[in-house]
Amino acid sequence: MVDLIKKSAKSLQESLFSSVGSSVLTIATTYLVINFFRGMLGFALTSDKDWLAVLNNMQLYMVQAYPEEDFIRVWLSVGLTFVLAGLSIGIWRSEARVKSSQVFNSFFKGGLGVLFFTIIAPTNASFMGNDGSVITEEVLSMDSRLGILIPVVIFCAIFFSIRFTNVSFTVNSSDMVFFYLFIPVALLWFVKLPTIQLNQNNERIIPDPVMPIASSTKIPWTVIFVSFLVSYFIGMYLKNIKSIKSIMSLSWFLLPLLIFSWIFKKPQIDMSVVLGSDLPIFGVFLLWGFLVITFVNNALFKKYYSTYLGVTFLLTLAGVFSGLPMLAKTCLLLITLFSVVVPAVSTSSQGKRSLLIVWAVALVTLTFLLRGGASDTGIVVPGSSIFGGFSLTWLLAIFGTYVSFPLGVLLALGRNSKLPIIRIVCTGIIELTRSVPYITWLFFASVTLAVFLPAGVEFNLIVRVLMVTAFFSGAYFAENIRGGLQSIPKGQYEAADAIGMSPFQKISLIIMPQALRAVIPTLVSSAITAFKDSSLVTIIGLFDFLTIGKTVIGNQSIPVNFVGHDRENLIFVAIVYWIFTFTLSRRSMKVEKKLGLGER
Amino acid sequence: MNKKAIVFLLVFAMVIVACGDTTEEAAVEATEEEHDHEGESTLEQVLERGFLKCGVSTGATGFTEVGDDGSYSGFDVDYCYAVAAAVFGDYSKVEFKQLTAAERFTALSAGEIDVLIRNTTWTQSRDTELGNDFGPTTYFDGQQLMGRVSDGLSSSSTLADIDGLRVCTNAGTTTEKNITEGAGLVGATIELVTVEAFSEAIDKFIAGECDIVTTDGSGLVGRRAVNDALNDWAIFPQSPISKEPLGPTYRSNDSQWADIINWVVYATIIADEYGVTRANIDSFDYDAAPEMGRLFGKNDGELQTKMGLKADAYYNVVKQIGNYDEIFSRNLNPLGLYREGGANARWTEGGLVYAPPAR
Repeated sequence: MVDLIKKSAKSLQESLFSSVGSSVLTIATTYLVINFFRGMLGFALTSDKDWLAVLNNMQLYMVQAYPEEDFIRVWLSVGLTFVLAGLSIGIWRSEARVKSSQVFNSFFKGGLGVLFFTIIAPTNASFMGNDGSVITEEVLSMDSRLGILIPVVIFCAIFFSIRFTNVSFTVNSSDMVFFYLFIPVALLWFVKLPTIQLNQNNERIIPDPVMPIASSTKIPWTVIFVSFLVSYFIGMYLKNIKSIKSIMSLSWFLLPLLIFSWIFKKPQIDMSVVLGSDLPIFGVFLLWGFLVITFVNNALFKKYYSTYLGVTFLLTLAGVFSGLPMLAKTCLLLITLFSVVVPAVSTSSQGKRSLLIVWAVALVTLTFLLRGGASDTGIVVPGSSIFGGFSLTWLLAIFGTYVSFPLGVLLALGRNSKLPIIRIVCTGIIELTRSVPYITWLFFASVTLAVFLPAGVEFNLIVRVLMVTAFFSGAYFAENIRGGLQSIPKGQYEAADAIGMSPFQKISLIIMPQALRAVIPTLVSSAITAFKDSSLVTIIGLFDFLTIGKTVIGNQSIPVNFVGHDRENLIFVAIVYWIFTFTLSRRSMKVEKKLGLGER
Repeated sequence: MNKKAIVFLLVFAMVIVACGDTTEEAAVEATEEEHDHEGESTLEQVLERGFLKCGVSTGATGFTEVGDDGSYSGFDVDYCYAVAAAVFGDYSKVEFKQLTAAERFTALSAGEIDVLIRNTTWTQSRDTELGNDFGPTTYFDGQQLMGRVSDGLSSSSTLADIDGLRVCTNAGTTTEKNITEGAGLVGATIELVTVEAFSEAIDKFIAGECDIVTTDGSGLVGRRAVNDALNDWAIFPQSPISKEPLGPTYRSNDSQWADIINWVVYATIIADEYGVTRANIDSFDYDAAPEMGRLFGKNDGELQTKMGLKADAYYNVVKQIGNYDEIFSRNLNPLGLYREGGANARWTEGGLVYAPPAR
């Protein structure tokens, strides 16, 4: 122990006070930093702050006005995401080992964090009642503070000292994910934070200092954690099944669609439509695909293949502009694409069989999604849009990226096209979109778009915002991807041509994988920008995550008066944003490393 | 071509489907809205749609608030509810549109909302230039200043006393113009510190970066009630430096809709004059007050049906939302804003809240 202190003191001296100059520099910097953070420190230490303003509005932060009886939909969507995550971690289970010292180190750091929050936690919480009087309630007495402090200090001490013993073993890094997740879920059952309760008349306020944190969420989170664990083991078991990885990728792709069109809606399905129109359409297209797969190697079919493709294409074009049901239209689009792919893939009987499965799965999913998405929603949100708070931020970020990324790929390819019309149109779209600020586009969506549409036609504001967001970030994605395209040597194109690849094969198999790999950092930073830019929708009156913290809660005087408690909320919002963007950038760094970016 | 290509293609196809999904959803909405034709009156549009679209603020303490479960409350919000109660007999048939100050009038003239109740000041230019009309004032506000007693200011101070002080206010609003103009008139030199939002101005005031903060009186009183632990803050001058009559706004040239909105406000005021509240509305003796009986459609309700409403439209307003006094006390008393002695008192008690007779 003494050795350690000597060592630390020596290293401190070496790095901070090695010469007169550096000593001066250290002191000056310390002074500046302390001054810089003094306001922050002062805020952390005053009793003036009221974290109840954050805690009491958690529901508002997450879903805004989403009806309580439909919360199960939100839980289902979160649960589904976790199950998929568990499966994926199981399937792509990393073989990397983590050293025990690293684990203990992170425990030590986590303990320090808890220690810090226990020390700065306010003893009393005061808030304003409806009659204007200030109610003060003791939320953390000195005894209970000591009751937390002492075990945590012992905990920290144990993990600090264990690093100097000879205990050393390694654990699987994937397994550790579960351990880390287990801690917050377990804490949900034990940690208690003050929350505010109302009586039956919704008027007076009874602070309850021993309400467990988020008591309504601990059971769903526990269920989710257990299913996460179960799906992890299932994933490990399924690891060796062929094509499981493609199925997982596809599931990840379908998940947002499912959540958006199905879980955020309470579909009111008309069974007569399902039986009378959906099932027949489904049957017809399943048969069509089956026939194409069966006869693809038939000589006669091969001879007239291009005619067949042309007819299908024309049919699709006619179908899209006719009054066919939406399902038929999308199935037509799908069969055209499918027909293009079939001859290249179904050379063996094995390939044929898996292609048929893919086709059936795609059709089932499509029918399911369209029926769910297009039905009337049964979710009634009195007074405002269904999305608000974090769910709106999430929707804008994920769905914006989701639509704009393929759009960006298409625009980038179009801009590089040799056909003048396509090139000019794509360049025009990119330059027009990029040369106008995002805020202007938002105003365009909110105010001007209604003027351009025919009289009586009206899109939901969120749909309009999604439209401009898709184009805006699409244009930026396009420019990023174009940069990647330009980095591909001409030889690659020529080589692909030389082995007789079709232009489609050339782009999808040779060019795009290399181009996208080269621009992953910029793509991720574009996605992060899109995530953060989503807070700009506040200027057109949508309540995103930030607006709720900044504007809404600071104006609440009923049922509990939180007027003026902006800083607590802004700090909370900043932390949540940081967690998400930081995770995203760390993930992308790992992907880059895995792909060997910058090394090859 | 291998499996990766299939996945890529399917992904591509699903994107197209995803786009299709959105369009269809929009199309469903489009058919719903298709009946809104240009020539129809606002009332017909609202009745056909089945709910009222009411423009409110993105957040103004006491006037438009969003509660911890996402529900709306506040003085302006209650008047939105009141209009819905009059039109549908059910106050909950409202969709709120939160509008910023910049886009409120555009949204109204573009037909995004049916009525704007967003603490909007009635001014001559807004009345004439923007194609709007203003309904009866529901809240008489006025710009005031707040300073520290420790700086020698008190509630009886005047504009002349702020000479040489630093004043925090929102940039680019009428508030800024009023204070510059007012200080110039009395010959006081002030240092203007402009910020983006009023909460920043208060933060600067608390931090001592400015000596005076100014905005509408209602906002100052609300903040003093919460933040002034030492009772050091004084609001002055006694009579505000500007007039800010706040009330509902609607599109010009639709007098039927204008009448409906106006009489919703008047009905709450008349009910207050007679002392009819949510509690006693069914036990009230209407024979002794024939005006109340007429307004609530107790006989034939001819006046309401001529407006295009049901005979008991205003009965529903008071039954579900309450009279003016109830709306006021419910939302603004917690902030320390009271009717007594101010412009919002009954006209019989020296205030300005007055309604024409219902007959």
